[in-house]
Amino acid sequence: MGNHLNRRRFLGVAGASILGLPALFRPARAQVEPARRLIVFYFPDGVAGPSADGEPSLWRVSAGAPLPDQLAALTPHRAACLFLNDLSMGGTDEGSHPGGARKLLTGVDGGGGRSIDRVLAQTVGADRPHRHVYLGAMANWNGASGDKHISYPEAGFTAPPWDDPVEAFERLFAGQVADPAGPDPAAERRRRLRLSLLDGIRGELAELKSGLGPSERARLDLHLEAVREVEQRIGDVAQARDPAACGLGPMDIDRGQLYAPEQFPAVLAAQSELLVQAMACGLTRVGVIQASHHTSELIMSRFAGTEMYDPGFDMRSHQASHYGPRHDLERREFRDYFAQRRWFVQQYAAVLDALAARPEGDGTMLDYSLVLLCSEVSDGNTHAHRDMPFILAGGGAGRVRTGQVLDTGGARHAGLLAAIGQAMGADVPRFGDTASPPLPGVLS
Amino acid sequence: MRPLALLFLWSLVGCAESPGVDVPGAAYLPDAGPGADGAAPRADDDAAALPPGSDAAAPPPAGAAATYARLCAACHGPLGEGGAGPALTGLGDRDRATLADRIARTMPPTDPTACEGACADDLAGLILDTFSLDPGTCDAAGALPRRVRLLTRREYASSLRDLFFFDQVECQPARFTFDPGDRQPGTVHVAGSFNGWPGTLAAGGLAMARVDGVYVATADLPAGRHSYKFVLDERDWVPDPDNPLTEPDGFGGHNSIIEVPPCEAPPDPAAFTAGVPPETRPEGFAFETHVASGRVTAVHLEAYLENAERAARAALARGGRWLPCAAADAGCPARFATEVGARVFRRPLTEAEAARYTALARDEGQEAALTALLASPGFLYRSERGVPDGQGRYRLTGHEVAAALSYFLWGTTPDAELLAAAADGRLDTEAGLAAEARRLIADPRAGEALGTFAVQWLGVEALPTAAKSAELAPLFGDDVRQALLDQTRDFVRQVVFDPDDGRFASLLTAAWPVPDARLAALYGAPAGAPAPDGRAGVLGQASVLATYAHSDQSSPIRRGLFVRQKLLCQELPPPPPNAGGVPDVDPRATTRERFRQHTDDPFCRSCHQYIDAVGFGFEGFDAIGRHRTTENGQPIEGGGDMNDLEGLGAGTSAPYADLATLGALLAESEAAPACFATRLRRFALGAREGAADRCAVLALQRRFLASGGDLRDLLLAVVTAPEFTTRVEEAP
Repeated sequence: MGNHLNRRRFLGVAGASILGLPALFRPARAQVEPARRLIVFYFPDGVAGPSADGEPSLWRVSAGAPLPDQLAALTPHRAACLFLNDLSMGGTDEGSHPGGARKLLTGVDGGGGRSIDRVLAQTVGADRPHRHVYLGAMANWNGASGDKHISYPEAGFTAPPWDDPVEAFERLFAGQVADPAGPDPAAERRRRLRLSLLDGIRGELAELKSGLGPSERARLDLHLEAVREVEQRIGDVAQARDPAACGLGPMDIDRGQLYAPEQFPAVLAAQSELLVQAMACGLTRVGVIQASHHTSELIMSRFAGTEMYDPGFDMRSHQASHYGPRHDLERREFRDYFAQRRWFVQQYAAVLDALAARPEGDGTMLDYSLVLLCSEVSDGNTHAHRDMPFILAGGGAGRVRTGQVLDTGGARHAGLLAAIGQAMGADVPRFGDTASPPLPGVLS
Repeated sequence: MRPLALLFLWSLVGCAESPGVDVPGAAYLPDAGPGADGAAPRADDDAAALPPGSDAAAPPPAGAAATYARLCAACHGPLGEGGAGPALTGLGDRDRATLADRIARTMPPTDPTACEGACADDLAGLILDTFSLDPGTCDAAGALPRRVRLLTRREYASSLRDLFFFDQVECQPARFTFDPGDRQPGTVHVAGSFNGWPGTLAAGGLAMARVDGVYVATADLPAGRHSYKFVLDERDWVPDPDNPLTEPDGFGGHNSIIEVPPCEAPPDPAAFTAGVPPETRPEGFAFETHVASGRVTAVHLEAYLENAERAARAALARGGRWLPCAAADAGCPARFATEVGARVFRRPLTEAEAARYTALARDEGQEAALTALLASPGFLYRSERGVPDGQGRYRLTGHEVAAALSYFLWGTTPDAELLAAAADGRLDTEAGLAAEARRLIADPRAGEALGTFAVQWLGVEALPTAAKSAELAPLFGDDVRQALLDQTRDFVRQVVFDPDDGRFASLLTAAWPVPDARLAALYGAPAGAPAPDGRAGVLGQASVLATYAHSDQSSPIRRGLFVRQKLLCQELPPPPPNAGGVPDVDPRATTRERFRQHTDDPFCRSCHQYIDAVGFGFEGFDAIGRHRTTENGQPIEGGGDMNDLEGLGAGTSAPYADLATLGALLAESEAAPACFATRLRRFALGAREGAADRCAVLALQRRFLASGGDLRDLLLAVVTAPEFTTRVEEAP
């Protein structure tokens, strides 16, 4: 078959999970310090979950058993992962990709709340020059907008990610390293003028708000929030950062081909590396990486060197996700879908690798980070919003009980988002329209 | 049969039951003299000069309209006109309590607990009152809230161009023409001071081509004075007989003289919006003008700052007539702030603003002041807050109206004439507003905004980056894609502004020639020849056909949905879970055969009867819009059925043989022009139509239908409608 599938391993993952193995690694200061950063890694169109004909999920992890094939790339990081079985996003819009995308990080039906990444950006992330970094790979392609994006700076409204890693690099890192030649008077004057200009904008926004109703005022409040962030960023530039930690090797990206599927793997890898480096440099605590978008037309059969590769046949993510009622290896859609999901997990594992390769404290950056893997539906064919494929990796400075399988019994996923909030040290006692407290068993 | 099919449907989805660079006009500079500036915003009592629409009924409670939009509109249509669920209009004689009870118990079918008690009662009131009103008499002032609109990237860039770069001379190649009269030279070339007077073509003579009996050549020459002669057969040197400008050539004859004016490459608008994220559009809203989605994050703000710095530097480095005074002149800081400020803000500055920007110009210089103006909310947002109209609503000020007109009709900042009309109160009267609107519609600049509308209305914007298979991609290069976008944009513009046309029907039925040699291979005919294969209107354009297709195959589903949703405003629910994707590619079958399951299976058929039957009629065109007669060796079965044209569930059938016929069917319908009117309204107002807008929308549709689909009248109707200039207090 050439795609490393194995029927027996499929069957081997179908059993019930076992609760609560102890975490294998915890930094010594476990209960004191919050997690230092959060990365959300999103991929579209779900996983090979429970099939329409009732076959069990091929994503479900069982304690003590090898990881299922879709998740094989996480084996080296297994101890750093918290596997969550049976999390539910609730019945509203069940069966819908956009409905799932709206709930995914907001925990609110219809995307009617600020997403957890934005909540953290505006609270515990507010001490960084970039409160939030949202990077995409072909996430704006084909005019993708609105509920095809998962990060909600405000209830009901998404913002688009940066799809161009070169631009993102320039904007994140420009001016963050002190010039060895000493301060540049022209740059100093520009900074001073910008600060005065921002002050003027603040006043004009307040003036503009008069006479407007609550939702219009909320729009301008977001603008005011942005003024505060950029002010702080300008003020922060004076802080000298370690040039070694705040650089990046050359990116081999053709900016004219950002929307060529052939280049998608390189763009996604560059964005992942960029985010990790920005965090290593202290530029941000909160980042979201969005690979494509739901109902994705991404032609994954054009990824050279992967098991999906077939330049003569266009197999798209969403097309493959409707693989039929059964996990049928004889069907090309299912074989490719499975291979695609494995590939996305490999890219998530690469983020964990990048964090684990950078020393921090008495371990690595991974030990102090939280890295959430998510998609907007569980099974790509049934579009169910139950048994969602969330994985939380990274020790979060000891705040999260990794190295275990948590059987959540159908609990709402907002509890996981609340737990992430608390692990990051934010005051998030409850989250989402279910007002879920932190999911039991996640926090240590 | 029909009710059964619809029942399936409902049970499935839960619905049971560059023209701006005109030099002489300097249109964007204010008139000199005191009249054009300094006018204070209109006082409240003046603003009521334009009578509002009939006050026969107050708008419905905002809460009910919002609830309706959230829970009901998907099935019953945003205006209660029906869709996958039945229409809710004309129920005015029903009992409110009974209806409320039914809503409370059964609606929406997916979650009957979602709206009970007062919620259900308010909804019943909305249905019985608002949806039953006669659109001929009800209040068309709409319910748009007082608001501000963030400039789109396109509007931002066009505004900068028209504020600061309007009077530049664009570089044009020098053009030489030579009429040989009775002579029959074998070759003619141009020799002159600019190319070293070559006696032969081989030595660098500028070759002239014979076109319609005349020799022509063009060359990019540096600015300044150049002398030249024509050289016939590399032997006879003659001055340009049609050019009176000459000078002695030193040999007893004369050289002709050409003066090349200094010119500039036009600024690249994209350079001024670098880093500003793309506009966010909610699902199903095709236009980048969605007001509520215009939100400034830190990413936006930083990009705005940098772009303002860059644009201010470029504008000042270049200078030009927009600059009112030299920085060193006494009193210049105040003039700079108030005069430039009024143009940037599209209104006179307030005293506080004038003081602030004057101080900036004086203390930090013009560049700092201009940067601040361009990064200011006063530039980035255009206000639609209005002033009280004395009847509980708000009317846009003259300057707000000027901006609304200009950005809708021209896609850019108001010109001096429009600002003058705002300042002297003309835009506060119905007649004055209509006169300015007519002027704008008649101006060539109206083509720019309409082109933006056209590609977003049809949804073909993403064509440049659409994926096509390895086999098709070589035939569908960047130049072909761009030529296709240009074709669609130009076609719509031409139909709208052709003095002898301007009819909606022509958008769907007009024959067109192959516009461009780059498209000759794709269309199978040379440039200028009539498009073959029954192509007519936008339906036959490969921009549409290739957009609504997959990378490697046609898509009757996408094409059918394109007709239903984009052209008829008939919304269908998303496919259910486990719907199955595209059927397997079968090397022996046609697409129509592969999709037969959709109509054989009653579960699928409930929706796909409205999609596939229409889409199959496009099967004569492949994934890049090429005509084909066979697929996988099988003949293409021609034709489709534009069933239920005027509304889902009507049970009508309208077979069609080719796209020209489909276009004619749509053009003759009521549903298609009515839909077009609502789409243009969305583009103009930047908001979806809701229950509270029903009267306004129906009034617009009726006028458009009554005019026989007069597109220029529709533009006028949108801007002269009461809702264009009326705002209400947003519900707390």
